[in-house]
Amino acid sequence: MGNILELKDVELIYHSPQSETHALEKLSFQVENGEFVSIVGPSGCGKTTLLSLIAGILKPTSGKITISGKHISADASQTGYMFQRDNLFEWLNIWKNVTLGLGFKKRFTNENKDYANNLLNKYGLKDFKSHYPSQLSGGMRQRVALIRTLSLRPKLLLLDEPFSALDYQTRLAVQDDVHAIIKNEQKTAILVTHDIGEAIALSSKIIVLTSRPATVKNIINLDFDKNLTPFERRKNIKFNEYFNQIWSELDS
Amino acid sequence: MKNRNLNYSSAHKKYLRGLKLKTFSVHLVRILLLFVVLGLWELCATTQLIDPFISSSPSRIINQIKILAGNGALWHHSSVTLYETVLAFSISTLVGTIVAILLYAVPFIRKVLEPYLIVLNSLPKIALGPLIIVWMGTGTKAIVAMGILICIVITTISMLNGYLSVDKEKILLLKTMGASKLQILFKLILPATFSDFISILKINVGMSWVGTVMGEYLTSKAGLGYLIVYGGQVFKLDLVMAAIVVLCILAGLMYAIIASLELIVNSKRNK
Repeated sequence: MGNILELKDVELIYHSPQSETHALEKLSFQVENGEFVSIVGPSGCGKTTLLSLIAGILKPTSGKITISGKHISADASQTGYMFQRDNLFEWLNIWKNVTLGLGFKKRFTNENKDYANNLLNKYGLKDFKSHYPSQLSGGMRQRVALIRTLSLRPKLLLLDEPFSALDYQTRLAVQDDVHAIIKNEQKTAILVTHDIGEAIALSSKIIVLTSRPATVKNIINLDFDKNLTPFERRKNIKFNEYFNQIWSELDS
Repeated sequence: MKNRNLNYSSAHKKYLRGLKLKTFSVHLVRILLLFVVLGLWELCATTQLIDPFISSSPSRIINQIKILAGNGALWHHSSVTLYETVLAFSISTLVGTIVAILLYAVPFIRKVLEPYLIVLNSLPKIALGPLIIVWMGTGTKAIVAMGILICIVITTISMLNGYLSVDKEKILLLKTMGASKLQILFKLILPATFSDFISILKINVGMSWVGTVMGEYLTSKAGLGYLIVYGGQVFKLDLVMAAIVVLCILAGLMYAIIASLELIVNSKRNK
């Protein structure tokens, strides 16, 4: 498999006129190809900051971040970012929303269009291509947002609490959807969340961070049957064991 | 979709009927109000309850408009003012928007100019009247300049605020997709602020008429503002009233054009 992402001694200091904030310190971990990694930590510990670093939006104060051995740059061919809100453009239909990113950097090729089209067909949005975002449910909108991200074929998906804006019932359904899509398309994903249950339901590995300045506290490999859906995992006995373990990690 | 009302319950049909009735009565009362006011005005004037020489009357206004239309003066004065207004409206909207985009794109200039914009915005532009006349002469140029002055600052400030309030996360999203600054402008900033643009167009319709009529008060040889000033000076209040009525109609038409433009674009967007 090999590592797709590698962070080594990453440090980040935020500057503001009033003070400087030590957000991340000596943070190191690796993500292997095909893994689904969740990052949990106390609130305000810099989880989103970490994703911004991996996406190349922020530069680390010191340390090294590499994707497939290369230094990161803000380029969608490396990473695809998915936000808490779907951020669909209300004035564009679903097809134009999904292919939005293809317009930049001259990626609007037939091959890429076909890929986006296939994704929409495969994941239940076939009849909604000419609909507008306001005509779709919250769950469908988030699926469109995921396909928009996937259509750029990023090596690594960065998910920044993409389920937290959904109501509980929809959230469980969308988690199953997103998990299935990511597995199907054989993508590597990093999920940032404050929801321990969500992290256990979705991931193959959970990275627990300390409070600020954040560094890796523990890495827990989850051992579930490969064919379980996130919803089925929640009913598994191991789910509670992991939950308690991570809960106590975060507490102490 | 059209046959959907067949399936409605009787309660829903009743609700729809009630809704229709309400809209209808609003329209009815609206028109009635106009006729009642005009009728009362006419009545008071003919019975000499009020002096029609000072207050004019609907029939006298109509007569005056007929006279103006008959000798071609109506068209002449209206077209002069309309031309000035449309010119001031177009230039100030276009230039104001471009300046707003520049200020948005270059935060440094934006920060430098911020206090000046605020001062310019609160300055009563009419105070610049004498300067405009000295600098621009007493022709159309000065009147259009007055119209532009009145519209352009508010256009720039409103559009800039619109651009600045575009969702930061959407900008970030486009950045992670590798969009250039120009692509962010055309794919996100401009379409996202379309409704701001329409509302500034609507504001500018009103403001540009204010500007040109004010300009005509300052200096003019023709135009509806000229007619109003002239009518006031020679105490022909029928003429003043007639010019005001024509102004109302023209301004209303211009507003209607903008409103239908908004409808057309919105229906295209949501098809």
